[in-house]
Amino acid sequence: MRFFIATCSLLVLSGACADRAGTADRAATGGTIVVVVPGNEPSPLFPPLTIDIISKMLIDQIYDRLAEIGPGMNTVGDAGFQPRLARSWTWSPDSLSIAFDIDPRARWHDGKPVRASDVAFTVSLDKDPKTATQLSAIIANVDSVTVRDSLTAVAWFHKRTPEQFYDFVYQVQILPEHILKDIPRDKLGTSEVIRKPIGTGRFRFARWEPGVRIELVADTANFRGRAKLDRVIVALAADAGSATTQLMSGQADWFENIQPDLIARLDSAAPVRPVRYQGTQYAYMGMNQRDPKRLTAPHPIFSDRQVRRALSMALDRQAMLKNMFDTLGVLGLGPFTRGLADTTVVQIPFDRAHAAALLDSAGWRPGPDGIRVKNGKPLAFGLLTPTSSAPRMRYAVMIQEQLKSVGVRVDIESMDFTGLIARLEAKNFDAAMMSTGSDPARAAIKQNWATEGIGKGLQNQVSYSNRVFDALIDSAIVTFDKKRSDQYAHRAYQTLVDDAPAVWLYDILTIAGAQKRLRPEGMRPDGWWVGLADWWIPANERIERDRIGLRPSASTAQQ
Amino acid sequence: MRRFVAVRLLHAIVVLFLVTTIAFFLIHLAPGDPFSFENASISSEVRNQWRAQFGYDRPLLEQYVRYLASVAQGKLGYSHSMHVPVVEALALRLPRTLLLMGLALILSFAIGIRLGVFEVRYWSTRKARASNAASLLVYSLPDFWLALMLLLIFGYWLPILPTGGMQDLVLHDYMTPSQAAWDRIKHMVLPLTTLTLLLGAAITRYQRASLLEVLPSDFVRTARAKGVDESRVIRRHALRNALLPMITLAGLALPALIGGALFVERVYSWPGMGLMVFTAIGVRDYPLVLASVIAGAVLVVVGNVLADIGYALADPRVRVH
Repeated sequence: MRFFIATCSLLVLSGACADRAGTADRAATGGTIVVVVPGNEPSPLFPPLTIDIISKMLIDQIYDRLAEIGPGMNTVGDAGFQPRLARSWTWSPDSLSIAFDIDPRARWHDGKPVRASDVAFTVSLDKDPKTATQLSAIIANVDSVTVRDSLTAVAWFHKRTPEQFYDFVYQVQILPEHILKDIPRDKLGTSEVIRKPIGTGRFRFARWEPGVRIELVADTANFRGRAKLDRVIVALAADAGSATTQLMSGQADWFENIQPDLIARLDSAAPVRPVRYQGTQYAYMGMNQRDPKRLTAPHPIFSDRQVRRALSMALDRQAMLKNMFDTLGVLGLGPFTRGLADTTVVQIPFDRAHAAALLDSAGWRPGPDGIRVKNGKPLAFGLLTPTSSAPRMRYAVMIQEQLKSVGVRVDIESMDFTGLIARLEAKNFDAAMMSTGSDPARAAIKQNWATEGIGKGLQNQVSYSNRVFDALIDSAIVTFDKKRSDQYAHRAYQTLVDDAPAVWLYDILTIAGAQKRLRPEGMRPDGWWVGLADWWIPANERIERDRIGLRPSASTAQQ
Repeated sequence: MRRFVAVRLLHAIVVLFLVTTIAFFLIHLAPGDPFSFENASISSEVRNQWRAQFGYDRPLLEQYVRYLASVAQGKLGYSHSMHVPVVEALALRLPRTLLLMGLALILSFAIGIRLGVFEVRYWSTRKARASNAASLLVYSLPDFWLALMLLLIFGYWLPILPTGGMQDLVLHDYMTPSQAAWDRIKHMVLPLTTLTLLLGAAITRYQRASLLEVLPSDFVRTARAKGVDESRVIRRHALRNALLPMITLAGLALPALIGGALFVERVYSWPGMGLMVFTAIGVRDYPLVLASVIAGAVLVVVGNVLADIGYALADPRVRVH
């Protein structure tokens, strides 16, 4: 018995020691990680002009918001929001203004203090048409920001809405007035500052070598504490194949999107492990409801709800998902990814017999060659597909094959992304393999699916319009009661799914490859990088590049 | 000779103008523009504002005239994909490709000519036949496949060489000069070997064929009849004549210096001109594509002029004509 107690005590003690060691490891700073990204150069490192994921990842490290959305991703009111540049905030009694109390410890990376005037300047810059940023539409509800004193900025809103706090705080990253005030707004896009950003984040910009790398280093004097890693290097690779090779050979530590076939090869002996995280992109086959030859006329095939539902019904989405991603796929349920989805929405079932009957009753009867015909016209449409997306190319072929079995001919039109986007913008397509991002905010869905998103220059590219959906989503957006808002949103989603303006295919697979020594923390559906400043590497697993510390290299010193 | 060079230069200016014009209209014929990227959250309204900022909303002919005017003033525009002036982008990428391709050309010509001569001089030996078979094999291999195989073998199965880039991204800046030089060499081995093997095999084949064509000539027979040693016959008599097509080949290879070998730059993530142009075409970075086309055309013209001059210097018959 004594032996047993002694053994237990030893185990408990060693467990505690190990735990302490783990905690010490977690607290220890140091290490350099190389994040490899395939494809093009990132867009400007300037929040109002950022357009791609990698530059968003970088600016999220360099710049801060006034407050940060919580892990629950709540967008109604300010529940869950955590202080960042603002240490606190106060709502006015009518909720039409919010006073943000700036943390006096906050400093720009050049050492200057952050002031309330920086907030006012940022909002005026974002709203200025000369800046030409999407943010001006997103923060349209923000009238202005005034400076009460050097550390108090007051945001004024046009109207009170459930998501007004989120709309302002989540979308706006605060910019340094003293750096930007003298640059003409219409010249910001080509100015030097977009390549050498100065922010307040826990990482600061070190250098950008075009076509090669972008380097961030820990801001050791940061008011929120220095980043645990010393350095993050974004290495630019030619394509996904090169990126994968660099990851597998140990040259890179993190690749955000490894291919499914690689995952099967990552056994326990491999130096790399897969890290699954929730993404925000979903893919679907969008069906244009306007005639591409005459945009004022309805599409000869897709304007008929019954036909759209029949096409959805004829497609075995689960089988296609399994074929493409095996067990790793996540089926699309509607205009959202699973992390932000309403999983109770009833789906259009896979039923080919029913689909054929629906097409029959819509007047599309089998012709002599098996393709259905109505008024002498075959049931045939073009399907735009980007050549650069292997999953979408394969999906297009599977859709072609499956729809052929119900007498529908699909002509795949594959082209590069730029060409595809030009066709989508011009609404010059029948159907397209599309992808888009979902947003925690309910209002975001409107730009892609509401009637107000239809028109030249707007984002409802399939021209879907249903006033019931519009009314329900509007009700969800303006309702302050979260439960009732959820109910309205659910009915809106159900209406949209029932109308089948698209066939919801899959969530864009988000499995990263990471070197085993890496310990990622705090990943969120809106970005795997959100907790990057808290990622760490245990001291006993560090390799040569982790030990170089923070001493600047000759090249960074020059910059 | 002066007149010859002057006429060639005049031709060059016409060719440059034509190439620029054709490239300008061809790239604008492709669907999309620099702001047709996939991002549903960026509205067309904002995209149109960006288009207006850079003048892409103006009539095509006006854009063309403005472009010609700015090129004439030495302004090549702003690269939307690299966020730097085009001149800066070229200045950054060109040396990298010149380094890789220049070395590859020198090595492949040196090895190719030697091997070609060896295969002819010792045609009946086992070594010459093996060399012939090997050069034929490498010549017929798909370039992409060879690059990927080398990468797989030396970068992954036997991880003794880096798999991409020009240098160790993290440690290079902290190395001693000798370590840094070694790091650069290590990163260059795979792309350089791939290019040298492929180009060298082709040059070996050309050199061998050219020498075989020259050997039955009367002047070679005369040299042999005079009792000249066979290796001297080949080196001093046959090879000099057989090298003439190599001058043309070298002239044609010059443009490759900036186009680089796209496949090598892609497989090994070598940040050179080829990769930059490939990316620029994909994202419709008009100014960068056009500047690269102009630079390429300049080198084609210069290469041809140099080849013609070289030919004229090497062959008195050309000078007479």
